[in-house]
Amino acid sequence: MRLVRRIPRAAWICGLIACLNAVCWSLVTPAFQVTDEPAHFAYVKQLAETGRLPSSSSQETAAEEGAVLRALHQGAVRLRPQNQTIATQAEQEALERELAATPHETGSPEAGVAASQPPLYYALEAIPYTLASSGTVLDRLQLMRLMSALFAGLTAIFAFLFTRETLPGEPWAWTVGGLSVALAPLLGFMSGAVNPDSLLFAVSAATFYCLARAFRRGLDTGGAVAIGVVTAIGLVTKLNFVGLVPGILLGLIILSIRARRASGSSAWRPLALALALGFSPVVVYAVINALSGDALLGQVSWRASSIQSVPAEINYIWQLYLPRLPGTVNDFPGLFTTRQFWFDGYVGLYGWLDTTFPSWVYSIALIPTAAIALLCGRALVGARAALRSRAAELAVYATAAVGVMALVGAASYTVFPEVDAEYAQARYLLPMLALFAAALALAARGAGRRWGPTVGTLIVVLFLAHDIVSQMLVAARFYG
Amino acid sequence: MRRVTAALVGGLTLLAITIGLILAHAPMTVAGSDRPAGQPEEPIAASHEYNSYCQGGETLPSGTSALRVWLDTIYGPRVEVAVSSQGRRITSGERHSGWVGGSVTIPVKPLRRTVSGVTVCVSFRVRDETVTVQGNATPVASATREDGQPLPGRMWIEYLHPGERSWASLLASTARRMGLGRAAAGIWVVFLAIGLAAAVIVLAAGLVVKELP
Repeated sequence: MRLVRRIPRAAWICGLIACLNAVCWSLVTPAFQVTDEPAHFAYVKQLAETGRLPSSSSQETAAEEGAVLRALHQGAVRLRPQNQTIATQAEQEALERELAATPHETGSPEAGVAASQPPLYYALEAIPYTLASSGTVLDRLQLMRLMSALFAGLTAIFAFLFTRETLPGEPWAWTVGGLSVALAPLLGFMSGAVNPDSLLFAVSAATFYCLARAFRRGLDTGGAVAIGVVTAIGLVTKLNFVGLVPGILLGLIILSIRARRASGSSAWRPLALALALGFSPVVVYAVINALSGDALLGQVSWRASSIQSVPAEINYIWQLYLPRLPGTVNDFPGLFTTRQFWFDGYVGLYGWLDTTFPSWVYSIALIPTAAIALLCGRALVGARAALRSRAAELAVYATAAVGVMALVGAASYTVFPEVDAEYAQARYLLPMLALFAAALALAARGAGRRWGPTVGTLIVVLFLAHDIVSQMLVAARFYG
Repeated sequence: MRRVTAALVGGLTLLAITIGLILAHAPMTVAGSDRPAGQPEEPIAASHEYNSYCQGGETLPSGTSALRVWLDTIYGPRVEVAVSSQGRRITSGERHSGWVGGSVTIPVKPLRRTVSGVTVCVSFRVRDETVTVQGNATPVASATREDGQPLPGRMWIEYLHPGERSWASLLASTARRMGLGRAAAGIWVVFLAIGLAAAVIVLAAGLVVKELP
C-alpha cells in the first residue's frame, strides 16, 4: 500500500490515458476483428462455464459464438480489406435475431490457437464474462475488452516507473516515456481486444520495473518477492513470457553477487526466494505433465526436441530482425526484415493484419524515427561514463530483449520455410515497452537541457497523432 | 515552459490540419471491375516463385489511381503491375511487401482518359510461401495467361479511383455503420469514442504542460 501511495500522480494519469485510449480502441474495432479474438473468447467461455481448460486447438467455435460470427459476416470481412462490417439496419436486426435465437451451450472445448496458452488471463477475463453472462455474446465481449483496457493502464504506469528508476536525473523525462507508451496505438489496439497480450505487456513492464528498482536499491526480500511474483504471473499469462526469463535469471544472479559482496552469504536468500516464487508455476506444470504422462514441459519440450539445425535456426532468427551476414544463406530474399516486418508492422498493421496505411506513410514515418534514434544515440554517447558503470544492468535488459526476440524467431522457424515469418508481428515485441519508454525519454534528454522538454513534447504529440490517425484508419477500413 | 506550450499548440494544430486534410480527401471507390457480383472467388493459379500473370481485354477507366488484384497469401510479396495498350506501357505501379489478405491494392499513375482493350500484367516473386491467384473460370480464349499459357480462368481486378464524396461528407454514414454490430447498437458508440479521444488529448496535453519545464 505504501508503494502504491508512492507512485507519482503523473504515472497514474499516464495509466488513465492508456486505459481510456484502449477503451476507445475497443469501440472503434469491430467485434472479433482483432487477430485471434474468437479463439481467446472461446477459451474464456470454456473456463468460465466449465472451470476446465480447452481440450482442443480446433478452430471450430461453439454454436453460440459461431452464429454471431456469421451474422457479423466476420469471415468475409477478416483478411478482406475490400469488405466492410454490417452496414444496414436489416443486417443489424438479423444479428439481433441470431443473438436471441441461438441456444446457449455450456463451454467451448475448442479454442484454436489460444488452447496452448496458460490460463491466468482467461481466468481474469472469466470475471467480466460471468458478470455479463445474462447478456449476449457481444455484451460479454465488450465487457471483456474493458478488462483488457485496464491492463493497458498498468503497462503505462510500469513503463513510467521503469523510466523513473533507470533515468532518475530528469523527472520531466519520465512523463515523456510514460505518455508515449500510453498513447502507443499498438498497445491501445491490442488492449482494446480480448487477447492475453494485454496482460503480458503489463506484467513484462512490471518485470522490467522490478529489476530496475532492484538494481538501483539492491535486492532485498521485498524486491525478491516482487520479482518472483511478477515472474510467476508472467509464466501463467502467456508462453511468450519465457523469452524474458534469461534476463530475469541473469539479473537475479548479478544482484545476488552484488548483495553478497555487501552483506555476505545471507544475500543468497532473496535469490532463492525469487526463484522459488517465480518458477513455482513451472514446477506445478511439470508435475502435472509427469503425472499425466505428457512431455515434462509441454510445448517447450516439444520445441526443444524439434530443433533440426542450430546454426540454420540462429541464422534465420538473426535475419528475422537484422540484415544477413556475409556468407550466410539468405532466408528472406528481397526483404529488409527490420523495416518491413517490424517497423512497418509497428507503424500500422491492424485488424487481422489486413488494415494498412498507404505505402508512403511508412516511408514518411522513417523521418521522425531516424530523428528519435539520433537523439537517443546522442544521449547515450553523452552518458557513456554512466553507461559503463551500469553495464551489468544494461546487459540484463539486453538479455531479456534478445530472449523475447529469439523466442518469436524460434516459433517462426518451426513453420519455415512453408511460411516465411509466421510470428513476425510487431505486437510480439511489446513486452519490451518499458525499454521503449526509456529510449524515448532518453531521446528527449538527448536534445539537451534547453530543448529537451520541447522535443519531449513533440514526441508525445507525435504518438498522439499516430494513435488518432490509426483509429481513423481502422474506422475507415471497417465502416467507410 | 513557453517553448513546451508552443510545441504542444503547434503540434496539436498540425494534427488538426492533418485530420482536416484526411477528411477533405475522398476515399477510393470502384470505377470498374471484372469481378462478377455475388460470385465467390476460386483459385485459378498458385505460385511459389517468380511469376507474371497477364490478362487482356481489360478497360482502364479514366482517373484510375490503384488496381486491386485478387491475390491471396499469408505475407504478401512486392507486387508490380503494368498496364499496356497496343504493346506500349501506359501506366504502372508497385506495392511493397507486407500486405496480408485476399487482395492487394497497387497504386498506379492515373490517366485522364478511359482506355479499352488494355493488358494488365501482375508480377511478383515469392520463395517458400504460396501466392494464390483468385478469380473465376472462363473459356480459354479470355483466360489469364502465365508465360503465354492460358490458366483455367480470369483473375479478378478492380479499378479504383477517388470517389466524388469526401470523408467529411461520409461522416454520417460511417458513424451510423460504426454503431452497428455492437453490444448495444447505436450512434452513441461514436459519440463515446469521440469523447474518449478528446479526454485522452486533454489529459495528455494537461500532463505535458504540468510536468515538462
